[in-house]
Amino acid sequence: MSVQYQAVQWNPQKKAYDLTLLACVVLYLGLFVGVGAVIHPNATAETLLIRGLGTGAFLLLHVILSIGPLCRLDTRFLPLLYNRRHLGVTMFLLALAHGAFSLIQFHALGNVNPLESLFTSNTRYDSLAQFPFQQLGFFALLILFLMAATSHDFWLRILGAQVWKRLHMIVYAVYALLLAHVSLGALQSEKSLLLALVMGAGLVVICGLHVAAALHEQPVDSPRGAGEEFVAVARFDSIPDKRAIVITLGNERVAVFRHDNKVSALSNVCRHQGGPLGEGRIVDGCITCPWHGYQYLPGTGASPPPFTEKVATFATKVVDGQVYVCPRAKS
Amino acid sequence: MIFVAAYAIIGAVFAVAFLIGGVNRLDPAAKASGLAFRVIVFPGCVALWPLLAVKWLRGEVIK
Repeated sequence: MSVQYQAVQWNPQKKAYDLTLLACVVLYLGLFVGVGAVIHPNATAETLLIRGLGTGAFLLLHVILSIGPLCRLDTRFLPLLYNRRHLGVTMFLLALAHGAFSLIQFHALGNVNPLESLFTSNTRYDSLAQFPFQQLGFFALLILFLMAATSHDFWLRILGAQVWKRLHMIVYAVYALLLAHVSLGALQSEKSLLLALVMGAGLVVICGLHVAAALHEQPVDSPRGAGEEFVAVARFDSIPDKRAIVITLGNERVAVFRHDNKVSALSNVCRHQGGPLGEGRIVDGCITCPWHGYQYLPGTGASPPPFTEKVATFATKVVDGQVYVCPRAKS
Repeated sequence: MIFVAAYAIIGAVFAVAFLIGGVNRLDPAAKASGLAFRVIVFPGCVALWPLLAVKWLRGEVIK
């Protein structure tokens, strides 16, 4: 929560996260180029670097896409989620370097503008073996640029949470474009099945994690309370003190917190970046989002002054140890 | 290509002007924010300058 923007809200955990990320990227590129030079002695350093940057970016995208479902399945992965945008920006930078070097190697030094050459030198859209796969990579890079450029909190406020989230969900289209880019590109000239198997394994892992997370979340997503004034949600004693349970009322997830021998119910969605408030806890009298620490007062759903964020709240009552929540948000 | 170049040039010019003055009016949280923040959001301002221009012209304020 802040009343002014910073370029990056550094803290010791973020610095450790980013240093680890940087070390992994440098190590990967070093190993790729080093081992590649031994296995393919005829390959130039530029070619190895282009392949290293491209494969590194693609690998990082698999990590990024895995984090969301992994966090649903096991909350111990949450620290990876907190700085996922740093992974995204890094992935974009690797992809940009890959694209720039590729453009120079394959389309520069001619009498046609390199970008124009990218789109006009190969128009064999009817051929799989000769398909202009580089154009697919270009469009993926364009989307990645838009996502990286709007990853700051400023854009979340300018675009609104819903539009911002929809924009960043286009990462799945990027994944599809890159699968096609590699399949119709590098895979066409590969004699060994290894690359195809690795890509297939990556796709299976991504899809499998998403299905597992969806199945895991299904009980919470089963809506309750259609047409009722109050819905029985849980026994009071079953909710841990200063923690919450999460239920679905209508189309909305609601977090029901227990504190000071009473309960409060509010939207499970943090106003900052949609974090799951129900997975947080009450600290200093405030419901605290586990993702970035945004806070809300349990009774009103409002952030403590001077902050102005507010989430919807729902009326509650406790009768004979049973907690009831009204399915309609307070106006 | 000419259209893309023109869009980018207009965007860059707009982004500079916007980040000097307009952003503080559109989003009060940007008032006390430093140069590093403005550098970070510059590429997005170039890419989305039509949206920002409309909001700026309408005198919108993000709460």
